[in-house]
Amino acid sequence: MILLAILLIPILTGLLLLPFRKAKLVRSIALASSILNLLLTLILAFSPETSAFHVNWINYMGINFSLGYDGISLIMLLLTNLLFPFILLAGFGREQRNVHLLNFLILFAQSALIGVFLAQNAFLFYVFWELALIPVYFILLIWGGDGRKSITFKFFIYTLTGSLFLLFGIIYLYQLTPGMHTTDFAAFNQLNIPTGTQVWLFWILFIAFAIKMPVFPFHTWQPPTYNMASTQGVMILAGVMTKMGIYGALRFLFPIVPSGVLFWQNTVIILSLIGVVYASIIAFRKTNLKMLIAFSSMAHISLMVTAMFVLNTYALQGLLFQVMSHGVTIVALFYLTSLLKEKTGTIELPQMGGLKLQAPNMAVLFLIVVLGSIALPLTAGFVGEFLMIAGIFKQSAWFAAIGGLTMIFGAIYMLFAYQRAMLGDKKLVYSKLTDVHTLDYLILIPLIVIILGLGIYPQPLFNLMGQTIHSAENILKPLVEGALILKTN
Amino acid sequence: MSALIFTIVLGIIVLYLGFLKKKAILAPVAIAGLLIALFLSLKDWGLGSRYFHDMILFDNFSIAFNISMIIVTILIFLFGIDYYRMMGLHVAEQYALMIFALTGAFLMTSYSNLIILFLGIEILSIPLYVLAGGKKASFRSNEASFKYFMLGSFATAIFLFGIALVYGASATFYLPEIKIYIAQFNGHLPPMVMVGLLFILIGVAFKVAAAPFHFWSPDVYEGSPTIVTAFMATVVKTAGFAAFFRLLGMGLLPLPAPLEKALWVMTGLTLLVGNLGALKQTNFKRLLAYSAIAHSGFIMLAMLSQHSSSAKVLLYYTFVYSLATVPLFIIFILVKRASDWQEELVNFRGLFKEKSWIAVCMTILLMSLAGIPPSSGFMAKYQVFVLSISQGNLLISIFAILMAVIGIYYYFFVIREVFTESKQLNPIVVTRLNGALIIVCSLAVLLLGVFVWNLPI
Repeated sequence: MILLAILLIPILTGLLLLPFRKAKLVRSIALASSILNLLLTLILAFSPETSAFHVNWINYMGINFSLGYDGISLIMLLLTNLLFPFILLAGFGREQRNVHLLNFLILFAQSALIGVFLAQNAFLFYVFWELALIPVYFILLIWGGDGRKSITFKFFIYTLTGSLFLLFGIIYLYQLTPGMHTTDFAAFNQLNIPTGTQVWLFWILFIAFAIKMPVFPFHTWQPPTYNMASTQGVMILAGVMTKMGIYGALRFLFPIVPSGVLFWQNTVIILSLIGVVYASIIAFRKTNLKMLIAFSSMAHISLMVTAMFVLNTYALQGLLFQVMSHGVTIVALFYLTSLLKEKTGTIELPQMGGLKLQAPNMAVLFLIVVLGSIALPLTAGFVGEFLMIAGIFKQSAWFAAIGGLTMIFGAIYMLFAYQRAMLGDKKLVYSKLTDVHTLDYLILIPLIVIILGLGIYPQPLFNLMGQTIHSAENILKPLVEGALILKTN
Repeated sequence: MSALIFTIVLGIIVLYLGFLKKKAILAPVAIAGLLIALFLSLKDWGLGSRYFHDMILFDNFSIAFNISMIIVTILIFLFGIDYYRMMGLHVAEQYALMIFALTGAFLMTSYSNLIILFLGIEILSIPLYVLAGGKKASFRSNEASFKYFMLGSFATAIFLFGIALVYGASATFYLPEIKIYIAQFNGHLPPMVMVGLLFILIGVAFKVAAAPFHFWSPDVYEGSPTIVTAFMATVVKTAGFAAFFRLLGMGLLPLPAPLEKALWVMTGLTLLVGNLGALKQTNFKRLLAYSAIAHSGFIMLAMLSQHSSSAKVLLYYTFVYSLATVPLFIIFILVKRASDWQEELVNFRGLFKEKSWIAVCMTILLMSLAGIPPSSGFMAKYQVFVLSISQGNLLISIFAILMAVIGIYYYFFVIREVFTESKQLNPIVVTRLNGALIIVCSLAVLLLGVFVWNLPI
């Protein structure tokens, strides 16, 4: 029941908000509901017994409305519900049109994302997967920046193309299930698909996730979309929606098409390593701060994909840890970026500089978040990336060496950007610039506390992952066995 | 049967009511009559009654389709109250002709004899030729009527020729007997029968606007009065597909290999032409015409993937498609009135600002046509794909999915216009009835997708 509550609270609150016209009231109600949801999630995460919800939906097509969770879902769920209060908080005190509609859409997106992470049935997963796209599409289309019409369009078509292939894959798997066909994940996981089929089915399923994450070369929608999106839009996109891709890949690929994963393992790893290097280099060349962060996010995600496909427990643990830390860090980074944009009117690095003199507090906050993003020890990013690279190293030292470039490149371009934005001489243009407000502290301080807290004492998250590691091993077991079979043949 | 007879009488009554010069009572009478016809149809449910030496068979298949067409016609008539108030002198004829066309559609769903199918198609088509030319002063409307008439009669002639050839070989018009006759050849049909069957299929394919027999539809859809276009896009299409399905299911399946191949090619072409054609349209009616062609492709996919549930999928698909299309035409007319009778897509700009609830409804309707969950259009497409994939037609399914992506592209092109800011010159006036229709249909489209996934047959 608690799962159903977590799923429905945001969307019901959102519907409730629609008649209201007072911006502040709308925002407060939305925020309150999301905090409530966070509390419920924490209760769920730390309660010893598991919870599930099951209703028959479309019997004759084997579709059930069943919600449940394992360790991986729990991390994703926690991340989603942790970030949404901040995303909602980011709207406070800002000029926005149609606040009630905006908050409705954000809460709608939250519900859909929660649904994605809780669904135990592939059809249900798909419905939520698509549902999550619709509010985000409108958030980008109505509240986006310049060029939003064509960029949103590209983003939408791109991601939907992937989803439709996923739909094909789901239906294909559905008709493979024995007896009364069903789309339950449990039944999918039992399937024994011939290797030849798995080889092509892998891509049918993977494309949707590859686009969402995004993996090179399916990334072209991402940087312009991030650049154009409003603060809240980009926080949802970068913070949570990229994690949908990772979650989907973990949920679909490894248990269902293990031979396909083994077959394509190196291809995907190489593609994502290309992504790491490519995105890092472009990030270094970008002068637009938002674009820079967008590419840096792509580099980090690419490393996560590499870690996912090296198939060992270290890397998987690191991946899940990094899911959390990347989500928190990137949200903080994008919030700071839009703060800069508000204060200075630009996010072009050459036009900035010397902000530290005007706004020292902001500079400090920015520095901490930047350090978190480049995975300095004692920040959460370090724990995740260290584990991931350790895992990748077990697969191949070369992969680890190239993957490790993310950290080095990251340090270069992020610190360079910091230098250009914050340090240097004072610019006259900013003479009226003010430092960080209370509201900004409310958003940034908790995020920084999480970044540092998880970096200094990561054990709580690992404890939470206790079950996750278990399920990770469950995921890996058939794969390792499959690898042995391949080797012996 | 009683429903069929009653509907014919209703048409005549409505026609004669025209003499009373009271426009206001026409629509209520017609709608009340259709409701009675609906009730009479329901009474025949499950009886499977046969008439005229088994030439007509009212089984559940035909009754289910008839009911769905009656419901859609009622929706169109409700729209007609406002539509004809603004225009048109001879309103009684319009209603009467549509009712007559509906009786033709009834015959098309319930035949088991090719002659009845021919009669049905003609009874359906001839009123439509007249209706398409309903705006006497408009060149476009005249063009539509003429084009439709010429091409339509040509197709009918081919169809009739096909019937004659099949009759010449098999000496029967009855579908079940033709089925037995075909079966004895084990797939190697004599040329005469083969050509005959091909011609019959062409005749029906013309009615449902399947490529490459679709050329009439964009022009006719664009030129005809909008309410007639709505009728053609929904009721006529439903009837055509019911007839098509019956033709295959009762008589021709399993098809001889060359014909089956021809139908698959037709399906692929229909998907391709419909979706690619819609991409570049700037006129909303033409866009919907191409989208109708595209949907024909998906329906053919379901129809050719023979399975015991194909009929259900077909009914569900056509019904939810109609349910989404009718209100779109209503919204189109409202916007057209507000923008000096322009029909371009750009006229939808600013709709969100002007009337946000219409914009939301329109988004839901277009999303249903595009097949985005949780709308009923998604459920319909999902079931089509389940059918075709589980019958092993993987390649064409992948192709259809690619085409669905293109579909999403142009539907969202319209949605994008709706949410684009612009100064709408005139305010949009919505009568209460039209507003209710739009909202009810949108809700139905949404709720059917969540709670109802197939309709009883």
